[in-house]
Formats: sequence, structure tokens, C-alpha cells
Amino acid sequence: MKSEKIFKHTSPARVGIGGPVGSGKTALIEKLIPTLEARGIEVAVVTNDLVTKEDAERLKRSGLIDPDRVRAVETGACPHTAIREDPTLNIQAADDLAAEFPSVGIIIIESGGDNLASTFSLDLVDYWLFVIDTAGGDDIPRKKGPGIIRSDLLVINKIDLAPLVGSDLELMEKDANEVRGDRPMVMTNCATGEGIVAIVNQLSRDVLFDA
Amino acid sequence: MSNASLLLASLQHGDSFFPSGAVSFSWGLETLFSEGALTNADDIEAFARTQLQGRWAGFDRSVLISAHDAASLKDGDIDELHRIDAIVETQTLAREMRDGSHRSGLALLRVHEKMGTPGTSSYYDDIRGNKTRGHLSVMQGFVWARCGITKFDAQVIAAHALCVGLLGAALRLGAIGHVDSQRILASLRDPIDLILCHEAPVLERVHAFTPHSEIAVMRHETADSRLFAN
Repeated sequence: MKSEKIFKHTSPARVGIGGPVGSGKTALIEKLIPTLEARGIEVAVVTNDLVTKEDAERLKRSGLIDPDRVRAVETGACPHTAIREDPTLNIQAADDLAAEFPSVGIIIIESGGDNLASTFSLDLVDYWLFVIDTAGGDDIPRKKGPGIIRSDLLVINKIDLAPLVGSDLELMEKDANEVRGDRPMVMTNCATGEGIVAIVNQLSRDVLFDA
Repeated sequence: MSNASLLLASLQHGDSFFPSGAVSFSWGLETLFSEGALTNADDIEAFARTQLQGRWAGFDRSVLISAHDAASLKDGDIDELHRIDAIVETQTLAREMRDGSHRSGLALLRVHEKMGTPGTSSYYDDIRGNKTRGHLSVMQGFVWARCGITKFDAQVIAAHALCVGLLGAALRLGAIGHVDSQRILASLRDPIDLILCHEAPVLERVHAFTPHSEIAVMRHETADSRLFAN
């Protein structure tokens, strides 16, 4: 994490969510929003859809969040550039949301689906999650991409699918812990909500600095 | 600044590595390519030339020069910068052209504000306070003047950045390859040089005529499939 855990945020915390296409980033956000709101933490979202505004429209229509609190940023076919080398338009969208909705506690910035090498600029986010899934193969943690190693929180999603796609969940957990050292990891099933509370607890402690 | 320092400053600000949001804008190219109006490297080169000669030379260039002049005065003539900004706002017809110019100008300014470029913090507050818009060519003249970049170099950087932005978009759309993009960029040096050899129109006589791309930008507003913001 960029900043020391010294004082509470006075402006919205900015949390990045990255990961490969189809790993479950939007589904994770759909579960995080009500869980965070239930704790009194208001949420806004910036999406980086690659080709369409589908993720943004999906969240707007979900009924989980005021549609005005969802912004889509086009990335010119460069999802990694928009969160790393040139995050200026994502910063602009987050600044707009912070100004328009001062009661928001967390602004989630969802990267467009990318590869294992994507990372977030620490000028854009305070904290970032990297989402992979069991259907992508149980060798993904062992491949040690920067997203796997450097993210503040690794999420292994679709744990229910592991036996169906021949992925060894214990191996994924073991390999992830080996390459990440003491950085946290959470196993989730975003379809049922399993593991979501653990993520929110982590965000509360590490991002919002609630005990 | 020494010659080397000036050159290095120009290289820094003209480099696509400099974060300014440019990667998200195609200025009509995405629509024209997806509709089959642009199909090959020759078409892309012609499109870039048209943007240079039909829009940049008679409009953005004059705006940049005026903004550079205003920003170079002692303490800067902020009222004049606001007036120039208003001219760009009223003379840019397509909504996604206006928004793109505003968003990329604001992005450029924001980076300079974070870098501590003199005067940028208060101008950023003016934009946030809806006192002005912060259009790209205005912000280019403003921040580059504040960085000590000469008016001539600022024009060269802006023309180069426009070409790199368009060719980068074409490359990512799959319209051209990496060799073609560099060949076209080299071929655009002469037209840029020719433009710079002539006086730019005064602010009261700025003009642009690129109807094909402007109408494409208007159609882009409702496109379902969109990699770019315009």
C-alpha cells in the first residue's frame, strides 16, 4: 500500500480491481456494493470497459447503486495504459465522483480485462485487488505475474468451479501464498457471495482504517 | 535553459509517455475505420493530413499561440485564457469533440498541477469551479509556456502529439502496422513544416473544416462498440 496507516481518509479511498477477462471483476463489485453499503460505506464505481459500456450499464441497471455514481472511461484499446502509464482520465472520473458525491467512502476503479502483467499506478489508487479464477487454470498463481505478486489483495474466484474444470484449489492456494509472502488472499464464489465479507473486512482494515 | 535542456523538455512533453489521456481519443478515426471509410495506410495518412491542414493549422494552432502569449505575460493573463477557452467551446460543434478537448486538456493540466508547474493549480480550480473549460490547445499553450518552452517549439510539439495520437489510434484499431505508422509520421514532417512557415490566423479568424471526421464524431456518440471516447 502507498500510504502509512496513520489516519482515516478524509476523501474517498480509491480501490482498483484488475484481472483477466471473465475472472469475475464485475460480479465481485456487484457483491461488494451491498456489503459495503450495509456497513454504511457508500460506493461509486469507475469502469474501463474495453469495447462497449456493458459493465457500466450492467452496474447501472443492477439496482444496487445510483446510476449517476457509475462512470465509464474508454481506454482506447489499452486497458493497462489507463490504469498504469496514463491513468489521467480515470483520475478525472474519480475526482468528478468525489466532488459530486462527498458522502462516498470508496471509489472502485474496475480495470478492463487484461493479462497477468497489469498493475495499477499508485497515483490512481490507494489499494488494489487482482482477481483470477479457477477456470483460468490452476497454474496461474505459479506464473507469478505482477498482478499476482504485487496486488494488495489477491482474489481467487469461482472456487465452486475448481472440481468441474480440473483445477486443484489447494495447489492454487499454496502457490499463491508462496509467491505473495505475507500479502493477503481471499477465495471467493461471487455467485453465492462466499468470501465477500472477508474482502470487506480487509478493505475496512487496510483502506478505511477501521479496527 | 541550455539547448540540450530545451530539447529534452520538448521531447518530454511531446512524448506519448507523458500522461495526458490522449490514448483514449481517436477524433473520428474509430468510426470512419469501423464503417469502412478508411481502409489502409494511404487512407490513414490522408486522414492525418486533413486533420493537420483542415483543423489544426487554422484553429488549434492559433488557439495555442494565443494561450502561449497570454500565459507568457507576467503573472499570466488569466482572463484572456478564459476568453480563448470560451472561443474554443463555442466554435467546436460536435459534443464528443468538445468533451474530448476538455477532458484531455484537463488531464494535461492536472498532471502539471501535480508536478508543480507554476499557475496550474489556480487554473485547475477555475475549471473545477466551472469558470472555464480548459480545452486542450489552450492548456498546451498555457502549461508549455509555464515550462519555458518557446512558442515555436510548443507548436511543433502539439502538431507531433496530434499525429502520434491519430497514428497510435490507427495502430491499435489494426488499420496500420508499426512500420507504416512510423513511415506516415515521417511523411507528415513536410506538411507540418509548411504550416509552420505561414502565419497562423489571428484568434478572431480561426476556422476549421473537417466535416467528414466531425460528422463521424457525432455518429460515434451513439455507437454500441467503442474503444475510444470519440
